[in-house]
Parts: sequence; C-alpha cells; structure tokens
Amino acid sequence: MRFLLRTLSLSYVRRHLAKTTLTLLGVVVGVTTFSSIRSAQETLVKGIRSTVDRVAGKAHLQITMVGGVPEEMQEKVRSLSGVRATSPVIEQIVVTEKGELGSLMVIGIDLLGDREMREYGFEGEDADLDDPLLFLSQPDSAIFTRDFAARVGLKTGDTLSLRLPAGVKKVAARGLLTPKGFAEAFGGNLMVMDVYAAQDLFGRGRRFDRIDVRLEEGVSIGQGTATLQKALGPAYRVETPSRRGEQMERLVGNFISGFNISSGFALAIGTFLIFNAFNVAVNRRRRDIGTLRALGATPRQVRTLFLSEALIIGILGGAIGCLAGTAFSQGLLRMMGQTTETVYGISGSGVVTLPPGVALQSMLLGVLASLVGAWGPALVASRISPTEAFAKGVFQTRAPGHAAPRILAGLVLFGVSVLLALHPPFAGNVFILSVVITGAIGLVLLVTPLSRALLIMAVPLVSKAAPVAGRLSSDALLGNPRRSSGTIMAMALSLTFVLGLGGYMGSTKSTMVRWMDDVLTCDLFVRASANFTRPDFLFPGALREELLSVPGVKAVESYRGIRPIYRGQQILVGSIEMGGVLDRTKYEFLQGNEQAMRSGLTLEGKCAVSENFFGRFGLGVGQQVELDTPSGTVRFPIVAVIRDFSSDQGSVFIDRSTFLRLWHDDRVDVYDVSIKSGTDPGKVRDLIRRKLAGEFPALVSTRQEFKDEIGKAIDAFYALMRITVFLAVGVAFLGIVTSLLISVAERSREIGILKALGAVPQQIGLSIVGEALVLALVGLVIALPAGDLFASFMEGPVAKTFTGWGMPHQYPWDILGQLLVSLPVISALAAWVPARQGVRLKGTEAITYE
Amino acid sequence: MLKLQDVFKTYEGKAEVTALSGINLTIGAGEMVAIMGPSGSGKSTLLNLMGGLDVPTSGQVMVGGKDLAKESEKGRSLFRRSKVSYIFQAYHLMPTLRVSQNVALPLHLAGVPAGEIAQKVARVLREVGLDGRTNHLPDELSGGERQRVAIARALVTDAPLLLADEPTGNLDTARGEEILSLLRSIHRERGTTIVMITHDHHAASACERLIRLRDGKVEDDGAVAGGGR
Ligand SMILES: Nc1ncnc2c1ncn2[C@@H]1O[C@H](COP(=O)(O)OP(=O)(O)OP(=O)(O)O)[C@@H](O)[C@H]1O
Ligand SMILES: [Mg+2]
Repeated sequence: MRFLLRTLSLSYVRRHLAKTTLTLLGVVVGVTTFSSIRSAQETLVKGIRSTVDRVAGKAHLQITMVGGVPEEMQEKVRSLSGVRATSPVIEQIVVTEKGELGSLMVIGIDLLGDREMREYGFEGEDADLDDPLLFLSQPDSAIFTRDFAARVGLKTGDTLSLRLPAGVKKVAARGLLTPKGFAEAFGGNLMVMDVYAAQDLFGRGRRFDRIDVRLEEGVSIGQGTATLQKALGPAYRVETPSRRGEQMERLVGNFISGFNISSGFALAIGTFLIFNAFNVAVNRRRRDIGTLRALGATPRQVRTLFLSEALIIGILGGAIGCLAGTAFSQGLLRMMGQTTETVYGISGSGVVTLPPGVALQSMLLGVLASLVGAWGPALVASRISPTEAFAKGVFQTRAPGHAAPRILAGLVLFGVSVLLALHPPFAGNVFILSVVITGAIGLVLLVTPLSRALLIMAVPLVSKAAPVAGRLSSDALLGNPRRSSGTIMAMALSLTFVLGLGGYMGSTKSTMVRWMDDVLTCDLFVRASANFTRPDFLFPGALREELLSVPGVKAVESYRGIRPIYRGQQILVGSIEMGGVLDRTKYEFLQGNEQAMRSGLTLEGKCAVSENFFGRFGLGVGQQVELDTPSGTVRFPIVAVIRDFSSDQGSVFIDRSTFLRLWHDDRVDVYDVSIKSGTDPGKVRDLIRRKLAGEFPALVSTRQEFKDEIGKAIDAFYALMRITVFLAVGVAFLGIVTSLLISVAERSREIGILKALGAVPQQIGLSIVGEALVLALVGLVIALPAGDLFASFMEGPVAKTFTGWGMPHQYPWDILGQLLVSLPVISALAAWVPARQGVRLKGTEAITYE
Repeated sequence: MLKLQDVFKTYEGKAEVTALSGINLTIGAGEMVAIMGPSGSGKSTLLNLMGGLDVPTSGQVMVGGKDLAKESEKGRSLFRRSKVSYIFQAYHLMPTLRVSQNVALPLHLAGVPAGEIAQKVARVLREVGLDGRTNHLPDELSGGERQRVAIARALVTDAPLLLADEPTGNLDTARGEEILSLLRSIHRERGTTIVMITHDHHAASACERLIRLRDGKVEDDGAVAGGGR
C-alpha cells in the first residue's frame, strides 16, 4: 500500500495539483471554522469564569441585589456571626480614550479593608501604597496591573484618559500590581480604585454592586449562606463566586451555542467537498483502477488506497485548519465578546490559544469528514470491474436502480419531519436535530428523482436557446445522472439553507423594526449607559424635573429596567410611567387589552408580561408573577400579554409608581422625552446635552439614532449566521466547479472528437456554461419550497425554543431576488476553469486519452 | 490447464447481447494458442473469462483445477495476481509511473519484499531489452517499447498463464514481429501457456493451435499448419 500511495497517489497529486488543493481546501475550510469557533467560545467562557473567580479572591460568598446593595448593609453583614470579613465592590467595564487599548475592567474596592479578601502583591518601589491614605486623598488614584501598564507604556505617576459615562476623565497610576492571581483577571486589563470614588464616577449613589464575604474558619458555605440569606431577606442573592460565574456563562451560552450551527455546517461543507473531489479522482482514474484490478488488486486494496489518501488529506487539512483557526479565532473572540457585551452586558477578554482539546477534536473531525466524504467514491472505485479498463468504448453496464422505493422513503421521511415540526414530541435541541435530520435525509432522497425529472423538462428549453451548445450540455447532464444529481443536491441543500436562514433573519429584523416603530415613539432618548443591558450608570430620579424644564420638552417618562433571576432565567423587569407611554404607543396584545393594561398597571399595581415570558413560563392573564423585592416577595397579577422584544429571556412590565413603592430606588436608565410639535428634535437634543454635560452621561439620541443602534445590535447578533449563509453559497459554487471538472474529464474524448469534427471552442465553452446554469437553476427550483419550509421552521419552533418569540412567516422574496441575480453570475464564474479546460483540450489529446 | 464447459455470457443493458453461447474448450499446459474471429464475435469476452476478469452467465471456467465462475471477487483477484498475466493492445500502463515502477506494480500488490522486487524487475527488463529505459515514463516510449514494458509486467510474476488481446494490433509489422518473437521465446524458455487474440494470420501462424470464433461459438479448432516455427 505504501508503494501505491507513494507512486500512484503522489503522481496523481502532482499532475492535478489544482484539484488536490481544492480537496484539501474542503477539509481546511471545515476545520478552520470549527476550530476557530470552538477556541473562541472556550476562551470567552473560560475568560468570564476565571475573571469572576480571580476577582473574588478569598471571598466565599458574594451578596448582590438587583439595582445594587445599599451601603448600610455592609455593617449589618459584618455584625453577623460566622463572618470574618466583608468588602464592598463596584465593577465596571470602561474603554480608554484610545479605543484600541481595549476594554478595561475597573474594580472599586475599599483599600483599607480589602487586604483580607485579595492579594495585591504590590511591588516595593510603589511607595505610595505604603500610605493608602495618601492614595485615598486623591480621588483620581488608580492602580493598574504591571502587564497593562507595560502594554500601554504607563509608569507610576502617569495619567491615563478613560471614557467614563460622564465624559472623558483622567486617572493617575499610583501603583502597579504584579501579575498574579487577582491581577490576571480580565486578561490583566484591570484597574483598581477606591470604591467610594467609583460610586460617584459610575452613578451608583449610595450603593455597591456587591459585598464580598469571607467566612470564619470552620463555618461551612452552606451555613454561611443560610445565615446571610435569613438576615437579608429574599431580595438579596447570596452566592458563591463560581455559581455567579456559571450564571453568566449560562446567559452567554445561549448565544454562543448558535455558533455551533456554523461549525456543523462548515464541517458538512468540508465533507461534501471531499466527496466531490474524490468523485472526480475516481472518475479520472477509472482506467488505472481497472488495470490495477486486472493485475490482481483486490477490491479491498483499491478501497484502502483511496481511504488512505483521504486519511492523509484529513490529517494535513486538519493541521492546516487548526493553524488557520488559531489565526482567525482572535478576531472571532473580539466579535463574540462585543456581541455578548452589547446583548448581555458580559464581557470577555483574553488571548486565544488553541486549547489542546479543541485541537484534538478538530483533527479528529477533519479526518472523519475526509473519510466520510471519501467513503462513497472509494466504494465505487473498489467496485470498478477489471474489464472496464480494457473495454474499447464505455459500456453502460449499470442498469438504473429502482426509483420508487427511494421516492417513497424520501416522502415518508419528509412527512415525518413536517409532522415532528408541527407536533413536537420532545423539546430543545433533540427536537430541532430530529426535524433537521429527517428533513435533510428526506430531501436528499427526493433530490435525485426530482432533479432528473426537472432536467428532462429543462433540456428542450436549453436546446432551443442554443441548438448546438444546448444539445451538448443537456447530453452531459443526462448522460451521468449520478453526477448531476450530486451537484444539484449540494446546490439545493445550500440554497435551502440560504433561503431558510435568510428568511428567518429577514422576518426577525422586520418584526423588530415594526415593533420599534410601534413602541419607540418618543422623540429623544436620554440614556445613562451605552450598553443596553448592563447599567454602567444610573440617573437620579430627580433629573426628570430638570428635563421637563428644558424648552420644547412636552413630556418625560422614566424607564428603569432591572434583571432579576426568575426560575433560573435572567428576566427583565421594566418600569415606566405607563399612562404616558400607553398614550403614545401601539402594543400588540396577545391577551388582554390596552384598557386593562392601563388601569391594571397604573391603578392596581399589577403587571403585563411579554409574549416570550408567557411562552417560557406559561404564565398569562389571570395568573401571577412572584418577584422578590426589597419589601419582600410580591405577587403581581398579570393583566396583559404583549409582544415585546426588550429581552430574549422574557420581560415583566410594571408602572413606575409600583417600582418606587416596592424597590425604594428612584434611579433611572433611560428618560423617554417627547417634544412639543413644531420643535426641532435636534435643537432640543443639544439643549439637553448641554444641560447634562460634565455632570452626567450625555447619551442623547433621536428616535432614528436609537433605532439604528438597536438595529446594529440585532445585526451583530446575527453576524455569524450571515457568515454561514456566505459559506453555503461558497459550497454551492465549489460544488458546481468540481461537478463541471468531472464532466469535462468524463467527456474529454467526446469533446476531442467534436473538435476534430469542427466544433468551435465557443460552442464547447458555451455548453459547459450552459450546464452550470441548468444545474444552478434546478437546484434553486428544488430549494424554493424546501427553503420556505426551513424558514418557517426557524421562525416558528426554533425561534420559540431559543427566545420564546415566534416570528411571523414571510417568504424571503428579497433573498430570492438576490439569488436570481447572483446565481447565474456565480455559476458562470464556476464554469470558468472547467470551460477553459474543455476549450483547451486538443483534439488529438482527447482521443488518445484512453 | 484451462477447461471451459458450456460457457454462456450475456451482457444486460438496453438490449441483451449474447457474447458467448456455449463454449467448450480445453487448453493444455504449455500450449500456445491463437484466437481469431470477426469483430464482435466474443474473443475479448472469452479471454476475460479465462483470466478471471469476468464471470460467465452460466457454465464452468476451470483454471488449474479451480472453477473461476464460483470464486469470489477477492478469490479471483488473488488468482489474477499469481496465476495469470495479461498483455493488451492498448498497453494499459500507468501513465504516471516510471517503467520500473510499472513493472513492479503486480509484485507490490502481492506484497513481495522490496529487495526481491528490485531484482526481479531488473531481470525481466533485461529480458525484454529495456534495461536502459527503467526511469522513463510511458509517454516517453514508442509503441513497441510500451508493449515490451507491458510484457515485462506480465512476466515479472512468473504466472503460468499469459493472455494477450491483440498485442500487436497497434504496432507496425516489424515491431509486431519483434513482440511475437519475444512471446515465442518466453513460451519456449519458460513453458508459459499463452493464449493470444489476433486479427493477423501471420501472427496466428506463430502459434501451435488456432481457435476460430463466430457469433459466440467455436467455429473451428485445430493445429496451425507449420505453426510454432
Ligand atoms: N461490457 C459490455 N457490455 C455490453 N456488451 C458488451 C460488453 N462487452 C462486450 N459486449 C458485446 O459482446 C459482444 C462481443 O464482444 P467482444 O469484445 O468479446 O468482441 P471481440 O470479438 O473482442 O471484438 P473485437 O475484435 O472488435 O475486439 C459484442 O457484441 C459487444 O458489443
Ligand atoms: Mg476484442
């Protein structure tokens, strides 16, 4: 076998370098995508976790409350038995003024009391910190990690400009930390400052983000948790740092798992490309294989030869893919990190190194994809009869198989898939996988007979369009139904994917845009935080009066959103002056009506829930939501279910008065400002900006700006899905290229004879382009209904599973339009190389090819 | 050596073709036989059956006491590897392999140790007079030379049966004559049984026995007048 590989295979590779590269590319694409996504995912999740762990230091437990822990709680906790030390913390992500330095995690702590909690490892030269009082007396004091300082070129005493909620501010480095333990959190991009200075800087009022607790020796975590929970009441969460890490991980996990679809698809692409390439190779080498068989090679030896080639390609492609994956993953991590920050308010940071587990998985998958792809062609090769090498012409020995059982099986599987989608017997990923797998296999089984029928229908049309070339291309298409239907299958699957995902994204976006149009109706949004989910700053409630006094302002509503955990999910509880809001918005009611909502929320302290909250928790009108508030556990009767996209985890809405009464917290995330008619929103915006400048964050945006920003966040969320769509189009492209290459190789004799008989190169070139166009068109025709079904599956059951929102189905006309324009261009391009090869075949060469 | 009994072969396809209909034939060890007949009379089909490249639709093909019709695909592969070798009109060399590699191919398939292969290959290449061409690719050789490579490849396994399908069909008279005399000397020196299809009376007369086929049946079978010169 080694001899065969060294001589036969290697010389084939040398002769067909382009084709071999294409084969290798298949594995490389698949493995690169997989390994880069996996390593970015792993780094992101690990980064989140290790940051939580490292920042926690020696803390056993962490006390949090939505909206922050009031200062006075620290005294209360410290006095409890079993508590050895407590330390207040404020955590905030900021960016430096020079954005390219990346995000910086600011940790506000009580420097005097925190040494029980965290090891700082200050270095000797930083004498300033021998006197913490001096540090504290200057409010711009900050400590950086030695790592970060070196990266930025910062020395003790230097200042650094930070973009803070209230504007750009300078902080001075008054100490450096050795990169050890705590200082390695957040990839070393860490800044430590005084917790009270942080309160002012980040609008925390008299609250901390959390209180870290270290227990006495001998007190178990369980005992400690029980004591604290009992003393503090249900509104407070008492958790170990690792539990908190897990919670964040779970939140991000939902988003991250979406990337697995792309990995899976990329690997499927790789497999398909291998399959195609080996198909080409087996066809090309048919005669040689026949000779080998005549010389006594057993079918098994032939099969082993091809599988060994696949193995080598798999290993090689896997290795290259791992390397390329590492190169891409850093960028991918940044992209993922940015999205998780905008969407969930959780940032990760770190340098991607290829985790050994991922490397191993990628290599294995590369080899597996390669072997699976080569399996069929290798089997075909091993079945080539030895007489075939010597037949003078090509005899069509294989009688066409029976189509009826295939069609039947295809229809049954497809039907099962649709039934499963309509009446899901299981939930979650199992459900989605079962529908996708049965549907895909059903489609694969149906494509062959379907494409044959369509081809037969297309032939007269093509022949009419271009008599000679058309005839040639249709002969080629019908002459080898196996090859044609293989290509059409790849084409149809890819386009189904494109139409399905594209349709889903389109429907989601347009639904959200419609919702924004209905609900985001005020003229200006005055926001305290740039981030939608993580309050980096909160306005004092009294600011409303000041805004009302700005000339041109008609009305102001104060929105506050908190994100408590409800039955294990981080839901959104939004509060606003509901009366004013209902006057200017048009909510879509799934249960209840506007009248009920208005009186229920404003007068009776009840709540409304979003559609996806209803879907997730099964709670609708007539039922109650139980929430832990600082005033104890309160049951809120539900008076309406509305369509709302504020949170993918589910939302509960209450009136501002209810929130103020129960939460004792008047701070505000966003002021919704309506202006008097006839006033220029731009002018009012500038007036408000001027009023806030220097004191508060001045993130004032007009309605359109605000919508655009949300639109961008939605796009970021779907960025990877879009990449997958491009990958799918890429596969279709490569599929056509390889299929046409086989076609030209198979017909090289025929083409040569035609040339000898006087066919002009254009006729031959045109026939190959025509072949490509027909393949693409037939693929598209099959994908039209299949893509539509896939889109409605994504919009319905899949979207519901992940977000609780069902999206209305609409046919992806825009994508179809784009495909109708781009597909002919793409397929003509794909025909380029094969057509040139066909045109260049010399008549004599083609005839002596055998 | 070779015994065919009631051999039928039909090809299924758009229209059924009966290539052989009731062949009965015995060929003894050490014979040198020519097969002639019009195009399409079933000569190649017959040869393929003798070499275990194909199986008959019905009947027995006994070679060395074994019925090839009953052998598995693998069994026939192993049989081909050791008991029989072929020469074809179109040579069928591996275009990407050098001369010596082409000749060595059947030995590699059979798993012969490398040292032994090198020795054997060198010997047969000398025998066919190609020792100066070992590193050429088939494309760089003339038709006659290519056919000699094919013969060397056939000889290298020391198979007792050599089947040749129009080995001189692509060559001019002089080159053809060279190949024929090479085959004859192989027959003489090694005692190899040779069955050769040919269209050429001159080539047939190089053999001791001539079988004529017509429409898938043996039309005539007898000694060649003055054969085996
Ligand atoms: N694989 C095949 N499939 C279908 N029919 C075949 C096949 N091989 C041979 N035939 C048919 O069987 C008959 C005998 O073919 P065969 O090749 O044995 O003839 P031949 O005597 O060798 O002819 P020639 O002198 O032209 O080489 C022919 O009619 C041929 O068309
Ligand atoms: Mg013949």
